[in-house]
Amino acid sequence: MKIRTGAARLCAFALALSLLASCSAKEYSSEKPENESKSVAELKSEKASQDNTKLVVAGSEIACGVDPTVYPAADYLLNMGAAEILFKVDADGIIKPSLAKQAVQLDDYTWKIELRPEAVFWSKAPVTAEAVISSLMRSKELDMKASPYLADMEFSVIDDYTIKVVTKSPNTDIKENLSYSQLVIHNTSAEYSYEDINSADYTGMYKISSFEPAMRMTFEKNENYWGKKPQIQTIVHEQIGDSDSRVMAAMSGQYHVVLDIDRASCKQIDESDVSHIVMVPGAQTMTIYLNTQNEALADYRVRQALAWGIDREELIMLGMEGLSEPVITWLGSNPAYKDIKNAFFTGYDPQKAEKLLDEAGWKLSDDQLRYKDGKQLKMLIRTFRNDKALGEAIQIQWRKLGVNASVKHGDYSLMSTAYENGDWEAAVEGWGAYGNVVGLLKTQYAPDGAANYGKYKDEKVDELLKNLAEAPNSESRHQAGVELSLYIAEKSPAIYICPRPQITAVSNKLEGFVPHFRQFENVVNADLRIGL
Amino acid sequence: MKRKRCSIKTVTGLVLLLTIVVLIVFAPLFTDYGPYEVNSDERLESFGREHLFGTDRFGRDIFCRTLYGGRMTLFSSLGALAMALIIGVLLGILTGLYSQTAFDVVLMRLIDVLMAFPFMVLAMVIAALWGSGLDKLLFAVVAVWWVPFARLSRSIVIKIKNDSSVCAARVLGASQMRIIFCELLPKTFSSVFVLSTFELGTLILSISALSFLGMGAQPPQAEWGSMLSDARSHFFQHPYILFGPALFIVLTVLSLNLIGEGLRDMLDPYEKTEL
Amino acid sequence: MKRNMIFRRIRSALITLLLSSAAIFALMRFAPGDPIDFALGLGPGDMGVNMDMLNERKAELRKQYDLDENIFIQYVRWLKRVVRFDLGNSMRTKIPITEELGRRIPATLLLSFTALVIESVIGLLAGFYSALKAGKFQDGFIRILCVLLGSLPAFVISLAALFLFSVKLHWYDISSRAELHRLWLPAIVLGIIGSPQIIRMVRSEMLSELGKPYVSAIQSCGLPKRMVVYGAFRNALLPIITTLAMSFAHLIGGSVVIESIFNWPGLGNYAMSSILIHDYPAIQGYTLLTVASIIVINLIVETAYLLADPHVRRSESRSLKAAREVRTHEKKKVFN
Repeated sequence: MKIRTGAARLCAFALALSLLASCSAKEYSSEKPENESKSVAELKSEKASQDNTKLVVAGSEIACGVDPTVYPAADYLLNMGAAEILFKVDADGIIKPSLAKQAVQLDDYTWKIELRPEAVFWSKAPVTAEAVISSLMRSKELDMKASPYLADMEFSVIDDYTIKVVTKSPNTDIKENLSYSQLVIHNTSAEYSYEDINSADYTGMYKISSFEPAMRMTFEKNENYWGKKPQIQTIVHEQIGDSDSRVMAAMSGQYHVVLDIDRASCKQIDESDVSHIVMVPGAQTMTIYLNTQNEALADYRVRQALAWGIDREELIMLGMEGLSEPVITWLGSNPAYKDIKNAFFTGYDPQKAEKLLDEAGWKLSDDQLRYKDGKQLKMLIRTFRNDKALGEAIQIQWRKLGVNASVKHGDYSLMSTAYENGDWEAAVEGWGAYGNVVGLLKTQYAPDGAANYGKYKDEKVDELLKNLAEAPNSESRHQAGVELSLYIAEKSPAIYICPRPQITAVSNKLEGFVPHFRQFENVVNADLRIGL
Repeated sequence: MKRKRCSIKTVTGLVLLLTIVVLIVFAPLFTDYGPYEVNSDERLESFGREHLFGTDRFGRDIFCRTLYGGRMTLFSSLGALAMALIIGVLLGILTGLYSQTAFDVVLMRLIDVLMAFPFMVLAMVIAALWGSGLDKLLFAVVAVWWVPFARLSRSIVIKIKNDSSVCAARVLGASQMRIIFCELLPKTFSSVFVLSTFELGTLILSISALSFLGMGAQPPQAEWGSMLSDARSHFFQHPYILFGPALFIVLTVLSLNLIGEGLRDMLDPYEKTEL
Repeated sequence: MKRNMIFRRIRSALITLLLSSAAIFALMRFAPGDPIDFALGLGPGDMGVNMDMLNERKAELRKQYDLDENIFIQYVRWLKRVVRFDLGNSMRTKIPITEELGRRIPATLLLSFTALVIESVIGLLAGFYSALKAGKFQDGFIRILCVLLGSLPAFVISLAALFLFSVKLHWYDISSRAELHRLWLPAIVLGIIGSPQIIRMVRSEMLSELGKPYVSAIQSCGLPKRMVVYGAFRNALLPIITTLAMSFAHLIGGSVVIESIFNWPGLGNYAMSSILIHDYPAIQGYTLLTVASIIVINLIVETAYLLADPHVRRSESRSLKAAREVRTHEKKKVFN
C-alpha cells in the first residue's frame, strides 16, 4: 500500500514535471525567438555605434597560444596584425621589408640588415639589433620548423639598429628565409614567458586583449605602434570549425572576413548581397604523388602515360568546381615562377597515354582494363580532407585509360600509415610552393625529402638539385629551378594539377581588403575600414 | 474489423518494400544510364525528364545510382540490423529473466561500457587491424548496435516476466526454453522490432559515416548513405541532389515500419487501437 | 543490508570504469598513426623541419607520455595519476585534460539537458496523442513525420535550421561560445531529432497497456476515460524512463554533428577531434567521463524502477508466489 501511494506520488510528480516542462518549453520556443530578436535588436543598436570600429573575422582555427615557437600560433598572430616579421612577401611574390628597413648584400657571404629606429614593441621597448637577434635565436632554439631557415646564418650586432649576417653558402637569399612566418619578432626579455597574453610582447599594430583557447582571440589597437596606425579599434578572431557553418557566418552578415570557404559554396556567397568572394590561387600545388616503388610505376612510361591521361580542365571542373587553373610544374603555383606554369606541355593526350602504356607492355584486354603478364594495372588513389571529389575525378579519367583505379578517402593518419607500409599507388596532397626554393625543391625531390613519398631516385635530379643549391645568384637559381621542374615534368614522379584555391568571403561593408596568395597571413592591414 | 486494418498496414508495407526491392534488383530495366556513366557537361542538374532525380557532381544520373546503390545499402544495413536484433533481443531476454544474477551484472556493465565508448575509435581500430571489407564493416556496426535492443528487451522482460500469462505457463510446467520462445519472445520482439525499423534509417546513415575511415562503400560505388554525405557540400547550391537517396531511405524505413506495426498487431493480442 | 548494497554498487561501478579505460587504452594504441606526429602539428605542407630537433623533441614527448614503456606500465602509471584526479595533459595543447573537459562539460550538460526536456515533451505529447488517435489520420501523419526525421541525416535539419534562423531571419548568432542566447536552436534541433524514438515508444507502450484486460475492466466499471489513460500511462512509465535515460546518456557524450554545425563548444566535438589526432590522454579522459556518467544515469534509472514498479522489487520471488501476487495486484488495480 505504501509503495503504491509512493509510486502514485512519483507519477503525479513526473506528470507535473513534464507539464511544467512543456509549459516552460512552450514559452521557451515561442518567446525565445522574440527575446532573441529583441536582444539582437538591442545588439544592433549597440553595434551601430561600434560597427565601424570592430572587425570580426572567422577562421577554421585560431592561434593555439601566444608563444610563436609553438605551432600553430605565429601564422594567426601575423594574420591579425599582432606580430610582424622582418620581411614579408607581397601579393606579387616579391619580398619587401616589413619590420626591417632594408637588407643590403655586401658580398657573396655577408649581408647587412638595417632596422627601423622608430620601431617599438607593445611595451615601448625599442626593437634593437640585439632584441631582434635574441628573438631569432629563441626561434632557432625552440622551433624546429623555423630552425632550418636560420641554420645557414650567423648574426652579429654592428650597431643598435644594424645587424650583420654571415651565411655559410654563397648568395643565400636571407630576405626569403627571414620572411618565414614562424620567425615573428618577439621580445625575449626575462619577464616575457609567452605563457599567457600578459606575458607576450610583439611589435604589431594590434595587441592581444583576450584569449579563449579554441574559441576566440580578441585584439585591441596598439596605441604605441611605430608605423601607420590602423583605423579599426578592435578585432575579434573567432574559431568556426565546420565549413558549412562558416559559409552561413559569411552570409549572415555577422562577420566581415571569413577564411577558408568551401569550393562548392562560392557561388552562393557571391550571389548574396552581404558578402563577396575573394579568390586567389594559393601557392600550394595540388599534386598526385606516385609511388615509384611500385612495380608498374617504376617504369617512367607508365607514369608519363598517367600524366598524359589527366585532363586538368575537366579535373578542376569536377573536383574543384572549376575554381582553379591548370599547372604542369610544381613551382608553377608560386607567383615568382608564373612563367613555367604550363611551360612543358599543356596537358591532355589520351592517345599518347595509351600508346605509352602499350609500349610499356600493359595491353588492353576485353574487360577494358590493362594487363601485363597476367597482372592487372591497378592504382589505389588515397585522398584526405576535402579532396575526395578530386580523387574520384582522377579515378574516372584513369579508368578511361584502362587502369583499374580505386579511391580510398580517410583522415591523414590513414595516409601516413599508407606511406610507411607502401599500401598506395597514388596520393593527392598539396604542398606549399612558396618560400626558400632550394629547400622546397629538396623536400620534393631529394631522395630523403619529406615530400618524396614515392622515394623517387634519379641521378640527374640530384645533380640538378646540387646546381640549384650552388647557384651564385637569384637569377641563376631561378634558371636552375626551372630546369629541374622541366626535367621532373618529363619523368613524372608526381603529377601536378593546379594551385589549391584560397577562398575568402569578405563583407561588402569592408573597405581596403587586399587579396594575397598567402591570405592566411594577410587579412589585417592598416587601411581596413568598415563602411556603413 | 480490427484484424482487417492490421492486415492493410502490413500489406501496404509489403507492397512498398516489394516495389523497392524489384526496382533495385531489376535496376537495368528501369534506367537507361549506368551508375558509373560520367558526363561532365550535365553536372548538378535538377529534376527533369532526362534525369528523374537530377545528376550529381560528376554528371551521373542520380535515379540510376539510387537504384544500383540500394543493393549495397539494403544488403549491408538489413544484414547488420538483423544480426544486432537477434543478439540484442536474446541477450536482453536472458538478462531480464535472470536479472540480479552475475550474468546480468556482467552484461549490463558491458552494455554501459559500449554505450559510452566512442564508436569511432572502435571502427578505426577494426579498420586498422583487419582491413576494410564489408564483413568488417558489419562487425563494427553490430558490435555496438545490439545495445539498445538488449536494453529495451531487458526492461520489457522485467516488466512482463511475472505477468499472469507467463506465470500460468510456469505453473503448467513449461520449460524455461518454452517460456522464452513462446511467451517472452513474441511480446518483446514486437516492440523491439518496431524500434529497429526506426533505427534502420540511422544505421544506413552511420554506415556511410564509416566511409571516412576507409570502410564501407568506396567510390565510385553507389550507396545511399554516402550519396547523401557527398551531397552535403552542395547542400545550399543544389539541395535537390539529396532528394533521390533520401526518398528511398525514407520509403524503405516506412515500409519496414508498417510491416513491423502490422506484425505487432498480430503478435500482441493485447494491443488496442481504439479507446 | 543497505550499506552492503551501496558497497556492491560502488564496486561494480569501479570495475566497469577500470575495464572500459583499459579497453580504450589498448584500442587507441592499435589505431594507425603516431600521436607524436599529430601533437607536433606535423602534416602535409611542411618544408624542411630540423630533423635532429624533431627526433629530440619526439623522444622527449615519448618520454613525457610514457610511450616507450610497455603498455601495462603505461596503464598503471595512468591509473596512479587518475587516483590523484590528474588525467594528464593534452598532447596537442599541453593543457591539463581536467581543465579541457571542465571547460566543455557545462556547455554539453546545458545543451543535452535542454534537448532532453524538449525531446521528452515532444515525445510524450505526440506519443500520447498518437496513441489516443491510433489508426486515425493524425496517427499516420505523426508516424510518417517520425520516419522522415529518423531517416534524414542530422546535417540536413541542422543546416536548414541554421540557414533559416541565422541567414534569413538573423535571430541566431554564429559564434564560438556556449551562451544562453545561443542555446535554443541547437537544443530544439537536437530535441526534434531525438524525439521520434520517444514518440514511438510512448505510443506503443500506451497502446499495449490500454489493450490489457484490466483496462476494459475498469472501463466497464465506469471510470472516466481520463483516469483510465492516467492509469495506463503510469504502468507504461517504466520503458519510457529507460528510453529517455538512454537518450540522455547518448546526449551527454555530445553530438558531433550538431555541435560542429552550431559551433557549440561541447564534448562531442572535442572527443572527435582528439580521436582524429590520437590525443591519448584526452580520449582516455573523455571515455572515463562518459562511462562514469552512464553509470550514474543507470543508478538513477534503477532507483526510479524500484520506485515506479513494485514488480522489480519482487523479481526474485518464486513463480507461484509471483503469480498470486500479480493477480492480487491486478485486482487491486481494478478496485482501487
